[in-house]
Amino acid sequence: MRVRLRFFAALREQMGARGERTLKPGATVEILWRSLVAERPELAAVPIRFAVNETYVEGSHRLADGDEVAFFPPVSGGR
Amino acid sequence: MFRVTRRPIVVATLLRAVRDPAAGAVVTFLGTTRNENAGRRVVRLEYEAFHRMAEREMKALAATAARRWALRKVAMVHRIGVVPVGEASVAIAASAAHRAEAFTACHWLIDRLKEIVPIWKREHFRGGQVWIGAQQGTPDTRGRAASGRTATRGRRRRPVDR
Repeated sequence: MRVRLRFFAALREQMGARGERTLKPGATVEILWRSLVAERPELAAVPIRFAVNETYVEGSHRLADGDEVAFFPPVSGGR
Repeated sequence: MFRVTRRPIVVATLLRAVRDPAAGAVVTFLGTTRNENAGRRVVRLEYEAFHRMAEREMKALAATAARRWALRKVAMVHRIGVVPVGEASVAIAASAAHRAEAFTACHWLIDRLKEIVPIWKREHFRGGQVWIGAQQGTPDTRGRAASGRTATRGRRRRPVDR
């Protein structure tokens, strides 16, 4: 199956704004993220949150063909 | 009214959006670009959003707040792109029958917005720039900091429960 990738902020500068990956059926968001970290080990240091089709999900979320997976560094902060 | 915009925020627009005959209080919050952060001289902030999801998350937060504090109306606007010192990057307005609910809701809304709405801030200061994460602390010197100009920081967070 094929999924679309979106990256933001510092992560976008490292990965580009968009991408695509082919995954085995049943793959989870966590599996996808680990495969990206395997390609670029420096990503392992990035604290990350995931959204699939514009909804926050846990790493254990199972992906479906055509899903859009967004990878978020922490949001904007301020006190 | 829940909007991510590149234009300067016009507070009057939010006030109009929350006007309600049953409201006895309207509370507004503005987050503005401060000229200093962590000892650095800030020259401007730059925001980036996952536009549609940000608007949807703001709307969801407002719905939760409206139920919890019996608000009449809520409006939230976040500016993206460059926001110069002194100008507003975020504005929230809440109307309610009485002021206590409106104050509390406004405070809760800005705190939650900062935690979960997918918007990121890059601080441009004298001598460099840094992406600001959810934690106010010393810039992480790993990763992009190796370039000498950019650092990424933030604490490890679990995906949000919602």
